[in-house]
Amino acid sequence: MRTRNADKEKLVIEKAIELIVSGGFEGFSMNKLARLCNISVATLYIYYQHKDDLIKKIGSEIGTAFFAHTLKDFSADMPFPQGLTKQWENRISFSLENPKIVECFEIIRHSPHGEQILQTVVSPFKQTMADFFTNAVSNKELQPLPIEVFWSVAYGPLYSLLRFHSEGKSMGGKPFSLNDNYTNQALQLVLKALKP
Amino acid sequence: METNLNHILVFKTNIDQLSAGCALSESLGKETRISQWSIDLEDCDRVLRIVSETLSNKEIISLINAHGFECAELP
Repeated sequence: MRTRNADKEKLVIEKAIELIVSGGFEGFSMNKLARLCNISVATLYIYYQHKDDLIKKIGSEIGTAFFAHTLKDFSADMPFPQGLTKQWENRISFSLENPKIVECFEIIRHSPHGEQILQTVVSPFKQTMADFFTNAVSNKELQPLPIEVFWSVAYGPLYSLLRFHSEGKSMGGKPFSLNDNYTNQALQLVLKALKP
Repeated sequence: METNLNHILVFKTNIDQLSAGCALSESLGKETRISQWSIDLEDCDRVLRIVSETLSNKEIISLINAHGFECAELP
């Protein structure tokens, strides 16, 4: 009797993420992945219909994990400054704890699979974030802004800092590592800018 | 419902093209003992994956051979 082996599946996902991050989709094949996991190609095809099926499943899994982490200890009715601070904390900790996973998600997100994956996993998350925004505006804690402008100001600085950190350097190759000081400075400026 | 893994059969083939109306798609689609099938055309082994409770490897191989394609059990 053949049964699903959870350890093996975990290994497959882990190695697939490694392969996608190091070589993109071009360098990714079921054959390579099977070899890397020390399992037969047949086993891989028993678990997943084809390469795209595997990529979609990995994307959904990462997306679900990311959104769950981002919503940890957060609720849409939090006062705006606390809520945004929590969002920054959660997004930073997920990125720092799972750098490869984040990199892989970015690759999948910008691929033809991205749209479909986001649609399936993102909706509860999107609703919470939209409620957070609307509540903050109606409580007069936040300037009414087009959502894109809000997002760029609220999270743009955070993702710039995270990018510097993941590359290990900032402008002109200056070594950079994110710390609480940098984060707080940027966050305080963001909160100040968004205040009505 | 989760597919019973014992009912999944995988093969290495040389099927290089597949279209909705082609003879091979038609016969795989028409075969009532096959509940699901797919071919990974991007893979070098053109892996054919069949979900069937009753068909044997041999029966599937001869079905594919009948369309002029090679087909072998994937080790």
